[in-house]
Amino acid sequence: MRQVLAGLMAGLMVLGTGSVVMAQSGPLRIEITDGVIEPLPIAVPNFVPDSPAATELAVNIARVVAEDLTGTGLFREIPSSAYISQVTNFDAPVQYADWKAINAQALVTGAVGVNGNRLTVRFLGHDIFAQGDLGEGLQFSGTTEGWRRMAHKVADAIYSRITGESGYFDSRVVYVSESGDKANRRKRLAVMDYDGANVQYLTDSASIVLAPRFSPTGDRVLYTSYETGFPQIHVLDIGQVQRRILSSDDGIMSFAPRFAPDGRTVVYSQSQGGNTDLFRMDISTGQRNRLTSAPSIETAPSFSPDGSQIVFESDRSGSQQLYVMSVNGGEARRISFGKEGRYGTPVWSPRGDLIAFTKQNKGRFHIGVMRTDGSEERLLTSSFLDEGPTWSPNGRVIMFARQSQGAAGRSTLYSVDITGRNLKPVRTPDGASDPAWSPLQ
Amino acid sequence: MQTGTKISVAGHTLLAGWVVFGAWFPSEPLPAQVQEVSLISAAEFARLSQQVAAPELAEQPGPTPENAPEPEVAPPPPEPDFQPEPEPEPEPEPEPEPEPEPIVVPPEVVRPPERPTVLPQVTEPETQQKTERVAPVPVAPPDPEAVAGEIEQPAIAPDETGDAPAEAQEATAPEAASDRIVTEENEGEAQVASTEVTRSLRPRSRPARAPEPAPEAEPAPEPVETVEAPEPDTQPAESAAVEDALAEALAGGADVEAEVPSGPPLTLGEKDALRVAVSSCWNVGSLSSEALRTTVEVAVSLAQDGKPDIGSIRMIGSTGGSAAAAKQAYEAARRAIIRCGARGFQLPTEKYGQWRDIEMVFNPERMRIR
Repeated sequence: MRQVLAGLMAGLMVLGTGSVVMAQSGPLRIEITDGVIEPLPIAVPNFVPDSPAATELAVNIARVVAEDLTGTGLFREIPSSAYISQVTNFDAPVQYADWKAINAQALVTGAVGVNGNRLTVRFLGHDIFAQGDLGEGLQFSGTTEGWRRMAHKVADAIYSRITGESGYFDSRVVYVSESGDKANRRKRLAVMDYDGANVQYLTDSASIVLAPRFSPTGDRVLYTSYETGFPQIHVLDIGQVQRRILSSDDGIMSFAPRFAPDGRTVVYSQSQGGNTDLFRMDISTGQRNRLTSAPSIETAPSFSPDGSQIVFESDRSGSQQLYVMSVNGGEARRISFGKEGRYGTPVWSPRGDLIAFTKQNKGRFHIGVMRTDGSEERLLTSSFLDEGPTWSPNGRVIMFARQSQGAAGRSTLYSVDITGRNLKPVRTPDGASDPAWSPLQ
Repeated sequence: MQTGTKISVAGHTLLAGWVVFGAWFPSEPLPAQVQEVSLISAAEFARLSQQVAAPELAEQPGPTPENAPEPEVAPPPPEPDFQPEPEPEPEPEPEPEPEPEPIVVPPEVVRPPERPTVLPQVTEPETQQKTERVAPVPVAPPDPEAVAGEIEQPAIAPDETGDAPAEAQEATAPEAASDRIVTEENEGEAQVASTEVTRSLRPRSRPARAPEPAPEAEPAPEPVETVEAPEPDTQPAESAAVEDALAEALAGGADVEAEVPSGPPLTLGEKDALRVAVSSCWNVGSLSSEALRTTVEVAVSLAQDGKPDIGSIRMIGSTGGSAAAAKQAYEAARRAIIRCGARGFQLPTEKYGQWRDIEMVFNPERMRIR
């Protein structure tokens, strides 16, 4: 009996040996599926000035670059007090060991030159662990007044080289600036850098303005004004600060406009006889096409990036939900199927893969995202009143307005990553609502 | 009749007789406890209850009995079975601060030895807290004085006397991490309760013996209190040992190089340890959406001390994304190998031939849904 068992064991051993040898014939192979999500440590030492006149700008530009990168939540700046080596010469080789010792994974070095009113910025990104450059060095030139914009461009380039997607720092946001108490609130259009700097006012506060929207090229803004007593759509040229009424039908309310991706047509809501439908208008000819003809309220239209579809909100099912239809109108399909709550203000992502929206449920407001077919709904925020999402040019960040509760409630702009991380307020001098992000400049 | 039969008959007869006349009819009655009771009327019971509910005399010195208001309710008439409580005799002089009575120390109650009890997790359910880091295993916020590090180690102050050989070191602890992305919407949601045993009562020490007359007056050394770790589950260790033994048995057919110790193949535990080590440095937070859909295969050669040969790291394949996305994904994988391999991966040196060349597949599919 023992001999039989021993024989069986020996046979199994031989068979097993064969299979394992086959498995181990190549290199060891492992699969890694669980990683971590944490900010990437990055060092941004002050840029090297080529003259004393450039010293202040060299410091300021490096600071803006660092703030842009860390503001994304994807990077963590290593404080300069931890530096082992200092960058005093832009062309000198990088001491990778020194930066590796402080766990920096990326390094940004730069040089700033000033010649009269002309500003030149050279920069280079370094991958510390690869001990090599992050792409080729770049140089920007402009006026000294535009130093912030040049810093944003540097940050965009670094961001793009590390993450593999375009940045959003050299962009602007148009919004409705609000001042005064709730009973006597004054509203006017304002435009600013994405980070709240360089605020400029585009209209006075003589009449109520709502829902500004950038053109695809960023040079014009559509908005709704109550200047005539009725809500009507205006278009404003930002460069020349000239405006004109786009729709001037007496007694017809038109609102919620948005540019098509080609910039030549506009889709908007028109209310007449108690019914609100969607229309499309050719800006140059003024020709209009009705897109919906339901007895319900259809509003807040937004184009898909390729211009073939429109997402909008409608209460045709009895409650406020999101629908998608062809750009030429026709049958719409409902995409929001949350068990509870109402959905509104949908905005198609520049990437085309997601739709941001406002959801109201159980007395709370949320900013959320879902796939274009309505699947994978995720709520990113929750507060007394969140509304009006707008996408960053790269589709990574959403900005929206948050209203605080109470008689002294104030509206403030916030931004949040599409993962729900990095929720933070955007600095504005006054209250702010209805933000709309421009494309990259 | 044989002798054995006689003995059996006699024995059974005696047993039957004892059962019938002895066990079934006990001669003495069973002891019974008797409690005398007396009947009282409902009115009497009510009066008794009032007495119980009456306010007790204040323990603190209050107004003297002379100044105390007379009770308005007259005491009930004396009953034969009810003796009213005697009124407290008036004290001659109320002392403002009565001296404390000597405290009588009760004799120490000898309690049975406490059995070590393994408790299930009874802590309150932890709620999601916003942290910058998301990791496969959540990490509680570390000591604020601790420096972020890969491992947890206590702080050691520099020994000024120079007697101690230990070098000074900073306290390090892993950075706080959540096992999922915490948004404003899901912040505060309870984490899934872990079934892992988190703490157990330390077994009670053996009771001290009666002091024996010590021949010498040498002071006894202070008992060193050690925290006994919960006994680890022996199952993985046993399975690992079995795997080791099996691997060693199977190693005979493997190709063995003369210079490099090959040894048996890595066990599952050893492979898992390597996988976890690389995972802890694989940061996908800065990757684009497309790069997060890209799986890259990276080849690397390790030195005998477990440190990666940086020049040998190369991408040998990718799926799911463009070339640009694959490059970003590869860079993140490369950083993970270099960062966590800087001190050398903990791998058995006797099996160097088995892990000298490694192919790592970085699949971010599970990271996308967090």
